[in-house]
Amino acid sequence: MITNKKYLVGVFDDEHTLVDAFEKALAKGVVIEEVYTPYPIHEILTGMKNKTNITTAAFFYGLFAVVMLIGGMYYAAVIDWPLHFGGKPFNTFPSFIVVTIVATILTITLLTLFTFSVRSKIYPGKKADIIDIRATDDKFIILLDQEKMGMEKPEVTELFQANGASEVYEKESN
Amino acid sequence: MYKTEIRGKLIDGEKSLSQISQEILAPIDAKTPLWWYIAMAISLVMFAWGAQSIYVTLTQGIGTWGQNSTVAWGWEIINFVWWIGIGHAGTAFSIFLLILRQKWRTAINRAAEAMTVVAVFCAALFPLIHMGRPWLFFFIFPYPNTRGPLWVNFNSPLFWDFMAISAYLLISASFWYFGMVPDFATIRDTTKSKIKKAVYGFFAFGWVGSSKEWLRYEGLAFVLGGIAAVLVVSVHSIVSTDFAVSIEPGWHTTLFPPYFVVGAIFSGFAMVLTLVTLMKKLYKMGDFITENHVDAVCRILVFISLIMGTAYITEIFIAWYSGSEYEMYTFFKNRITGEYAMQFWGMFIFNALLPQLFWSRKVRRNIWVVFAISLFINLGMWFERFNIVVTSLSKNYLPASWAAYHPTWVEIGFFVGTIGMFSAGVLLFFRYIPQIAIAEVKMISKYNTQQTDHLKPGHHDYE
Repeated sequence: MITNKKYLVGVFDDEHTLVDAFEKALAKGVVIEEVYTPYPIHEILTGMKNKTNITTAAFFYGLFAVVMLIGGMYYAAVIDWPLHFGGKPFNTFPSFIVVTIVATILTITLLTLFTFSVRSKIYPGKKADIIDIRATDDKFIILLDQEKMGMEKPEVTELFQANGASEVYEKESN
Repeated sequence: MYKTEIRGKLIDGEKSLSQISQEILAPIDAKTPLWWYIAMAISLVMFAWGAQSIYVTLTQGIGTWGQNSTVAWGWEIINFVWWIGIGHAGTAFSIFLLILRQKWRTAINRAAEAMTVVAVFCAALFPLIHMGRPWLFFFIFPYPNTRGPLWVNFNSPLFWDFMAISAYLLISASFWYFGMVPDFATIRDTTKSKIKKAVYGFFAFGWVGSSKEWLRYEGLAFVLGGIAAVLVVSVHSIVSTDFAVSIEPGWHTTLFPPYFVVGAIFSGFAMVLTLVTLMKKLYKMGDFITENHVDAVCRILVFISLIMGTAYITEIFIAWYSGSEYEMYTFFKNRITGEYAMQFWGMFIFNALLPQLFWSRKVRRNIWVVFAISLFINLGMWFERFNIVVTSLSKNYLPASWAAYHPTWVEIGFFVGTIGMFSAGVLLFFRYIPQIAIAEVKMISKYNTQQTDHLKPGHHDYE
């Protein structure tokens, strides 16, 4: 969180009122900084217009792994140290596929997890930037930056309260 | 969409979101019950016996086992395949039921995944110790070495197995762990204990539940889920090729990969049933793991049991239809009848016939009968592996080399040790980790009430 910002926090009790207020606020041109929820809500994820390319990244990790694995096995079994196994050819390509599949899956998993950790800035022991401690339990939080929310504070407060917010309060970042 | 009116409620009792967190986290916050210590002590004694057996094996050699030059694979490969099979259900639960949009999986997948990780550890011990010099196990790994470099044989199913098991262990553990991150954050934010706050806070990776986090988290789950589905099928297919690519009668068959994969999921689901019964009864998780959940697992088991029965009969039919006298001997003289008939019929009755009781709603709703059948299925699946490994090896093509196989106390101790390790692992899981995926249960809690009525139609049908 950037220092000394003034925030407006809308607290909602359930998914339905949150989504309602969120969509109405967006329609009125309110700029929403972030939404914190106990579980993923797809209206929010699409409404926030954030995009993730983690699936595309995973595809390219897979491609990279396949090329490296088949290349590596070919190098080891044909070029570097060819061995006779019961008269089989050195390049036994179709049976390379088994290792390729398994090791590709492993590579994709590890690299995608690493990407997730780096991009979401999530790692062991990280201190959480908690806005409202109840957001991981039972509250749904909309966070607005008071300078950039595109509407006056009383109007937003009223909009939230009219749409079922259980609390609206101000918070300064530290 | 889960039809509550047809399939029954996913969560019993009208629970608020915070009640869901509290009730699932209760075992972590409460004082450890006495039975837990007793169960842990028993597990550790079993584990100690296992450790002693491993010590004997390592100091005196594989000769302390009952194997001989004919039956070169005994209890170790049986137990290895058995544990890997049990380990299959976790990923199968998470992935296949996710793909099929079965919302009831949310109450059970965490336990299933925990079981997977512990079971795969138990499984991995057997080939490791069987190597004789386990400290040199890294020779299996293809790394540039000073012995040539001498590479591994990339066509060997044993190398495939090594790759499959290590990949499966790493992937299922990371899949399990990342599923727990939001729940650890819930513990961090709700607990009153400072130590718990610090410890679970460390493992929560700074999770706050922002939309950016959830977006990438969903992307990650999609990727891991998609590729791990392939892995579930490939791991046990590879285990089956350990057998199927050899030319032993009873092993050399194309039926093996699907037969092994289905069998693995069968035994794993049975073990899941054993565990959730314990969670329901010992930890009062009955509101989250309802009769409907148990019912759903039983329905899957009855279906898989029919596949198992078909596979057993197909094997016998093909042995006869092939006209190969070795195949016919193995199946008709050494399995259905002969000195190993008890194991064959144990397998057939426990796996193919007994689960047919699940056709009855009364049986599916009686938790103790379900519990007993789940244990019998696990026993039956052990017999199946015994039946495959020992019968084919003990009487092969050359009658002069026929030999019987009996396990020694060292082997029995080793197996008991892994059971102790498994139960100790599961007990630790019960005590220190949320047994049910809290965030996921919260997500499905809306399907429980009439609340869905005022949501836009077709708008909320997601996982």
